[in-house]
Amino acid sequence: MADLTIIPRDAPRPATADRGRLGRLFNGGERYLPGQRKEAAGAYLFIGPTILLLALFYFIPLIQTFYYSFTHWNPFSVQRASGAGLSNYRHLVTTAQFLSSLGHTLIYIVFTVPIGMAVGLALALLLNHPFRGRSVYRTLVFIPYIAPIVGSAFVFDFVVSPLGGVADGVLNSLGLPQINFLNQDPWAMISIIAFSVWQIAGFNMVIYLAALGAVPDMYYEAGLIDGANAAQRFRSITWPLIWPSTLFLLMIGVVNSIQMFTQGYILTQGGPLTSTQVIMEWIYQQSFVSLNGGLATAGSVVLFLIGMVLTLIQLRFLGRRYAVNLG
Amino acid sequence: MTTTVTAPPSDRISSPSPAPHRRRQRHYLAPIARHGMLIVASILFFGPFVWMILTSLKTPVEATQYPPTIFPSHWQWHNYISIFQQEPFGRFYFNSILTTTIATAGQIVTSAFAGYAFARLRFPGRNLLFFLMLGALLVPFQVVFVPLVHLLGDFHWLNSYQGLIVPNIPSAFGAFLFRQFFSQFPAELEDAARMDGAGLWRRFTRIIAPLSKSVVGSFGILSFVYNWNNFFFQFVIVNSSKYMTVQLGLTIFQAQNSESQFNLLMAASSLAVVPVVIVFLIFQKQIVRGVTLQGLK
Repeated sequence: MADLTIIPRDAPRPATADRGRLGRLFNGGERYLPGQRKEAAGAYLFIGPTILLLALFYFIPLIQTFYYSFTHWNPFSVQRASGAGLSNYRHLVTTAQFLSSLGHTLIYIVFTVPIGMAVGLALALLLNHPFRGRSVYRTLVFIPYIAPIVGSAFVFDFVVSPLGGVADGVLNSLGLPQINFLNQDPWAMISIIAFSVWQIAGFNMVIYLAALGAVPDMYYEAGLIDGANAAQRFRSITWPLIWPSTLFLLMIGVVNSIQMFTQGYILTQGGPLTSTQVIMEWIYQQSFVSLNGGLATAGSVVLFLIGMVLTLIQLRFLGRRYAVNLG
Repeated sequence: MTTTVTAPPSDRISSPSPAPHRRRQRHYLAPIARHGMLIVASILFFGPFVWMILTSLKTPVEATQYPPTIFPSHWQWHNYISIFQQEPFGRFYFNSILTTTIATAGQIVTSAFAGYAFARLRFPGRNLLFFLMLGALLVPFQVVFVPLVHLLGDFHWLNSYQGLIVPNIPSAFGAFLFRQFFSQFPAELEDAARMDGAGLWRRFTRIIAPLSKSVVGSFGILSFVYNWNNFFFQFVIVNSSKYMTVQLGLTIFQAQNSESQFNLLMAASSLAVVPVVIVFLIFQKQIVRGVTLQGLK
């Protein structure tokens, strides 16, 4: 049916009507039944609200983001933007602050996404088969994902705080030195990553549980008859069959992590100094504090392009691709 | 290990080779190890919230004393009254409930209309507009927020309910979800009504809408939680306490209270977290189904 599906790279393309590529893109090259043509006007009214509001609040601001990135512009003043050519971009690549925030974002992604996926998969494997108490565990692990980040970040802050926090007590009783988790390089970044893994693991677990549930039992039975042990069964049966979910979680994880703001803003505000400032905090800082809209939107463009490139690289090199299969 | 417990058939298949005594040992150990790991996981994932509630009922001194007490020695219920005295949390709740409810209702209605048209109607430009809409899924709010805030400023919508609600109404994800759901219906479903001369509106409201309770439930609750938790959006639209949501109010509360009042901060955090957790526990099935739908596209 018509939906976004992962299809193998070499799958045969579905046959479509003979309207040519442009016609297919335009309306699928389809024929009309009697009476359907008259309903086209009604159809536009049905899609109207969504399309117009998306245009107003997404597509126009997206175009403006590109436009303002070539200007000097204060987003909170009535003064018009003045042309700046490429100077904002030149400024970006020579500003240590921007480059280091980009680096922090990359470090954050490289650790948060795979660790979050591994924890989610481990939990899903533990919870895959029915047993008493399974749904209770599943619920408890999932709650951090739906809890408001601001609230749970303050809880995390309290747990790792040197002011009688739990983590400090544990270190103390083990005879280890005190660590000021949110105020000490590199612990501040480690804390943000740990918090994010804690927050996202439940989501990853739910996606993996659905994928594991869809693996037919007969494959495992065949594996058992062939004498495969648990590790072999996981490697040759489970892992390849849940691969689409792994790819999905990787993509969505990277796209979400690249935009990370709230966790960092609440836990460390980019500190100590700017050692944990991520790209979104930098963009926010430039637009709302320094009122440098041109530089901020240039940063947004870079963020957008990096997100696009990472998504395309993952789709290309991980052996599968998303295809919108219209039918 | 006694021999009275016989392994279930599945276990016999699962380990054909090892000696009998070793097999039986594993039969006992595996569930214990599993529960052990899951109990540790539950403490790590859910324990902080229990700790939050317990701390919220302590005195400031007891909240940070070492070694910590688990239960408060005197339950300080009035902590919850004093945070309402310090910041207008009642107002914050009202704002959160109002804006989240309207935005969610708007998302459901506009997405259902658009999903129906994309799934079941023919019109010129259908695929082009659909691709365009999917494109919005690739544009994170974070990329467009600077010009958007500027635009809302021109509308005089910063620090307003419209500003918190209207930009959130269009949902490409929702329209996509409804389209998927509606295209599963057989084509004949509407044929009889069409023969009888029923127009679009009548077919949508009488035939299609009544069949979409499950997708409305899944998407609606997911959208509600998403809008409620959408901190960054609220953060750039509002800075006047009159229009602040619970989460924004919480950051203000934290900024104005010194860190020594951890008990009050945990009480305020509980106010933000506990209602969402209760909603989740009530609608767990729909939320998990909605989340899973995202992954099984």
